[in-house]
Amino acid sequence: MFCDEALDAVEAIAAGETAPEGRIAEHLASCPNCAAALVAARQLERVLQRRGAPSPPPQFTARTLTRVRRARWRSDQFVDVGFNAAIIALVVALLGGVWMLLNRTGLNAVSGDAVDLLGTGLVSLVRRIAPSLPLYAGAAALLASALAVWWWAEKDVTL
Amino acid sequence: MEAVSERELVERCRSGDETAFQELVDRYKGLVFALIARTVQDRSRAEDLAQEVFLRVHRGLPYFRGEARLSTWIYRIVANVCVHDAASRPAAISLDDERAGTHAPPSASDRQFGDFELRDRLEKAIARLPANYRLLIAAHYLEGVRYEDLADALDLPLGTVKTQLHRAKQQLRRMLETDLR
Repeated sequence: MFCDEALDAVEAIAAGETAPEGRIAEHLASCPNCAAALVAARQLERVLQRRGAPSPPPQFTARTLTRVRRARWRSDQFVDVGFNAAIIALVVALLGGVWMLLNRTGLNAVSGDAVDLLGTGLVSLVRRIAPSLPLYAGAAALLASALAVWWWAEKDVTL
Repeated sequence: MEAVSERELVERCRSGDETAFQELVDRYKGLVFALIARTVQDRSRAEDLAQEVFLRVHRGLPYFRGEARLSTWIYRIVANVCVHDAASRPAAISLDDERAGTHAPPSASDRQFGDFELRDRLEKAIARLPANYRLLIAAHYLEGVRYEDLADALDLPLGTVKTQLHRAKQQLRRMLETDLR
């Protein structure tokens, strides 16, 4: 029974946090089993103190910062997608609301005329800018390519 | 003085200063990596987890209120990451399997080899400890980590940290009983 008490104390004694005294000191002096446990605990303490501290690899900081940047970029992208989805949902809801309003108030006939007017205006606008359309299309394609290259470069950054 | 510079560093990080975050990583990477590498005992896994710690630090900095020291907060993240990692990976190392057939009693004349072998067996024994004990053993014998920081990081009273550390060493002593005599 007393061995249990002594064995519970050997780690603290071996670590130098407490000194063996009184009954425990007497027991450790007379019990070979507990004395051997104390020797083992002291040896374990020495080995643990000599245990080396592994150092991080030389590129650790750079790799960590790259990972942080990638995570931030992904998070920003997620927010962007969420924002765009919310805007689309809002526009759809607004259009739906306007459509329902027109239906219920009987303004369909008026709105039909307005749509015709808008259509005519659009056709006229397209005719005016038609000669410059290839230029606009080229500029848009260039911008889209630049954005695609940027997106691809950010996406494929390797650690 | 150090606390002031620590606060300044946190503020700079919060304002999006990447150089400040790099400084933070440089300041704590040694400690974080050593703690994790001693706990998981696999360098590539340790690097991955240490990066994960800094990623969480980066994400959490806007919410860091500065009530605890930055180092304490980082230890807490290290503890969470290590415990989570241990929960997702069952321990695979068996001390008995390693011993079978290959272990000869170290002779007195070959002390260096004996020490090397003891250290090797110690690492395997540590790998078999529960994750929280492994972290305590790793941190306690690492220079710069105070008992108080550990107690704060693990949300445990100081006395409990000491008791758990003694229990961890008791388990290690029992696992290595024949090697230590």
